Amino acid sequence: MLLEAHHVTRDFGAFRALDGADLTVADGEMVGLIGPNGAGKSTFFNCLVGDLTPSAGRVVFNARDVTRAPPEAHARLGIGRTFQVPATFEDMSVLENVMVGAFLRHPGRAAAIDAADAVIERVGLAGLRNARARSLGTPGRKRLEIARVLATEPKLLLLDEALAGLNPAEIARAIDLVRQIHASGITIVIVEHIMEVILSLAQRVIVFDQGRIIASGKPADVVEEPAVIEAYLGHSLKRGQKR
Amino acid sequence: MGGRLALLALAAAAMIVAYPLVFSGAFMGRLGALVLLSAIGASAWNILGGYAGQISVGHAMFYGIGAYVPLMVYKLWELPPVAGVPVAVVFSLVVAILIGFPTFRLVGHYFSMATIAVAELIRIVISNWDFVGGAIGLMGPATSRTVLDLSFKSSVPYYYLFLAVLAVVLGVTWHLERSRMGYYLRAIKAGERAARSLGVPVRRYKLFALLLSAGFTSVAGSLYALMIGFVDPDSVFGLLISVEMIIVAALGGAGTLFGPLIGAAILVPLREFTNSAFGGGGSGITYILFGGIIMLIARFEPGGLMEIGRRAAALFKRRPREAARVA
Repeated sequence: MLLEAHHVTRDFGAFRALDGADLTVADGEMVGLIGPNGAGKSTFFNCLVGDLTPSAGRVVFNARDVTRAPPEAHARLGIGRTFQVPATFEDMSVLENVMVGAFLRHPGRAAAIDAADAVIERVGLAGLRNARARSLGTPGRKRLEIARVLATEPKLLLLDEALAGLNPAEIARAIDLVRQIHASGITIVIVEHIMEVILSLAQRVIVFDQGRIIASGKPADVVEEPAVIEAYLGHSLKRGQKR
Repeated sequence: MGGRLALLALAAAAMIVAYPLVFSGAFMGRLGALVLLSAIGASAWNILGGYAGQISVGHAMFYGIGAYVPLMVYKLWELPPVAGVPVAVVFSLVVAILIGFPTFRLVGHYFSMATIAVAELIRIVISNWDFVGGAIGLMGPATSRTVLDLSFKSSVPYYYLFLAVLAVVLGVTWHLERSRMGYYLRAIKAGERAARSLGVPVRRYKLFALLLSAGFTSVAGSLYALMIGFVDPDSVFGLLISVEMIIVAALGGAGTLFGPLIGAAILVPLREFTNSAFGGGGSGITYILFGGIIMLIARFEPGGLMEIGRRAAALFKRRPREAARVA
């Protein structure tokens, strides 16, 4: 197993945001995390990438315990992540943003530029190579974030609502990009609100509600489960089917 | 364009080197040396404050240590003050490590306020510590015993000494800017959380930046003591010393290589002219001047003069292409 989370729990004061979540992700999988707002997805996500330390439980990546490791150690071991609200380095150019990621495996400047350029080409930002990040729109920033984390050469990529705020045409392009990244051999865990995305991308879906995992399995099966429909999917799925 | 820029840089360098030969008067000679000294201090601050975005308002503590230790070395053992320069650097680095660990847990304004508090604390301790001269301060050798005392009547030797040190500081900064550390520092400035997610060991790099910055600031303080030959707590540990480094760097362009030098070339003459025009009360005018400049930079151009220059250059570059399109 590439990633194993055992009974991960996280309290904020008296409030238990996450209650004993288990997850195993095999090398090469694409797993979706879904659930209504406040279900604990983001808390779980942040425990997996090292932004939050679990109150209890264990996170193991590639046979190494990373439960208490800081985010930079996660990056070094090969866990990459994007942010829900793009956190691009605004005053730096697209190339410089991606170079920050590339420096992790390529300490020399020339090698970092080469590695960054290859990634920029791959995600389709070559035309904006020297533009400052602040001049990019939302789709450009999301793409830049993905480029930046790809430059760290992760084995596992965690995407936190990488498609939120995009219009349908942009979503289609972004889905292509995620597929292409997955096809290149990177394991992906994706948190997403948009059902269409999860259903078309993920091989396996984990459903959260009130801090617990209430269902998991193939997307088509999971959406049929009564508990899931009751918790979250009821309305949005039916509306989706009518359309 | 690149060729013209290189020519411009060459001309500027020639002007800087030839300055003492052109302006041989005592006032202008001293002014030139003070501009370079201020540029060294601001460039040193710039490594931590400009590139890494950690706005220290307490760099006077390193400047003061740099100024005091050489004169203490003279007072205690009658050694040439210059022997105290490396000792001062070591002292400054130790202080930097001691304050770096607790203060780097703080973010933004809280970090700045903590640095003010530590610097003021040190100033007050020095002011009340008779061993280091108390509120009166310390004197260097009154007359030059050997050339090693670096005590000259003319400011020309100081000018070239300062120029050499500035060249070293800017050389290190230039190298830093192009290296992994430079990119990491700018990433930390732009967003610590994102930087960490990309594998940047944020705390370690902040500490590196602080050490480099503190070491060079200490040297700037030592150079001040060597040239002036007298230090007291207010003139080297005072809050105004820290504030001036920030304003000089911010006016020229914080986080740029030549910003601090440009800022010093504008601000130091202004300060010296107001001081000499208004006599002893002039230092009050200096405060007002600094306050006004802070407001103008913050309101209209946080990137400083370098940013204005960059924008003007971009406009300049675009024009010929547009002209071609019209034709």
